Amino acid sequence: MSGARVAWAVLRKDLLLDLRSRDRAGHMGVFAFLVVALLSITLPESPEAAGAWVPALLWILLLLTSILGLARSFAAESEAGAVATLAGVACDRGWVFLGKAGANLIALLALQLWVAVLAAVFLDVRWEAAGWRAAAVGALGALGLASVGTLLAALSVSVRAREFLLPVLLFPLVLPVLVICARLTAESLGGDPTPGLWWGVLGLYDWVFVLIGYFVFDHVLED
Amino acid sequence: MRPGALSVPAVEIRGVEKRYGALLALRDLSFELDQASFTLAAGPNGAGKSTLLRILATLTRPTRGEVRLFGKNAFGREAAELRGRIGYLGAEPGLYGELTVLENLLFAAELRGVGRERIEWLLSELRIESVAEQRVRTLSLGYRKRAGLARALLGAPDLLLLDEPWTGLDAEAASGLTRFLSRRLEAGTTLVLASHAPRDPGDLFGGVLSLDAGRLQSLDASRATPAERP
Repeated sequence: MSGARVAWAVLRKDLLLDLRSRDRAGHMGVFAFLVVALLSITLPESPEAAGAWVPALLWILLLLTSILGLARSFAAESEAGAVATLAGVACDRGWVFLGKAGANLIALLALQLWVAVLAAVFLDVRWEAAGWRAAAVGALGALGLASVGTLLAALSVSVRAREFLLPVLLFPLVLPVLVICARLTAESLGGDPTPGLWWGVLGLYDWVFVLIGYFVFDHVLED
Repeated sequence: MRPGALSVPAVEIRGVEKRYGALLALRDLSFELDQASFTLAAGPNGAGKSTLLRILATLTRPTRGEVRLFGKNAFGREAAELRGRIGYLGAEPGLYGELTVLENLLFAAELRGVGRERIEWLLSELRIESVAEQRVRTLSLGYRKRAGLARALLGAPDLLLLDEPWTGLDAEAASGLTRFLSRRLEAGTTLVLASHAPRDPGDLFGGVLSLDAGRLQSLDASRATPAERP
């Protein structure tokens, strides 16, 4: 049985469910809009002062908004007893993790695009100044959030208070991603050089958590 | 059924214990079930029937003890291969409410590497063709159960595990299910059902595995021998 085929099937199924229900995208989109609108009112008017705060605030916003989506990423399975369907795959269950994480990654990239548009409109963020570096930071940050978030969402699927458990576990684990991404985004927007070390650490973090997710998912899907 | 000696038991359980925190769901369980046999796991609520089925489906790892399916360690290196030989239907049908029956089965077929012709055969065999294009959340419990059974049967399993399969079915659907299971048994599938209220006693079941408070009370070994093949 081809694992890649299983991962692709899980990814397509999750995206189809997202398109059908629109719960996740709707909640995440509205929440992001409200927070950016609030920031546009409360941030200092001086571009320098706002510029110093915006990258960190945007990454905190992305983290908080992603919680809404990640907490729902196993909702369909837990409501219908379909965890057993996923756990019954005739291949390594790590491929199921890759499919779920892939679907979450696509959802987070779509969210980032939406937040980038909102930031440009409401906070006057000039993404064109950051160029490809902002897109690369976004992609690597989304991969980190998706891999850790998918793993923790699966871990907390059978827990009664999963809405509380997920952020409590997720925040400390993604702190390195948040710090590095905020710093790289600020440097990209300011046109400053971005040290290769941070790119390397971010890439390594993503790689490590994708591997951890792949290898421990076999146990995670069991009771 | 795969070629190979029927002498290898379909299920071997040795000293299995399952603990959920302070709750001991299964205690020192040991038994064997032959291939192509039909066994009822009976007992009151909380006896451990569902936990036993989940362990046999490799969905729940026992706290202690050994589980072998068709001679292989159910939680070892060959677990993925074994999962391809197991069909499991739990208390929930394991289907996505926002997808149609057909979409659910196509998804499950992709997870199992099964072709579309098998889906069409199952839709016809379980008489759910008429609801194939309907979303699962709009279906009655009986149809959901049959669609869930179709999902469990997709991989033509050698070991079929069904948890309370008659629950929610009307009399006609229940006897249809019983007839269907008889045919699966004739085809060589090993069947293990958990039920506290089976619709068809005696005639159908090869063996009765009686559980109470996680303990094996009795296994009617004389009836747990392989069913007669046509």
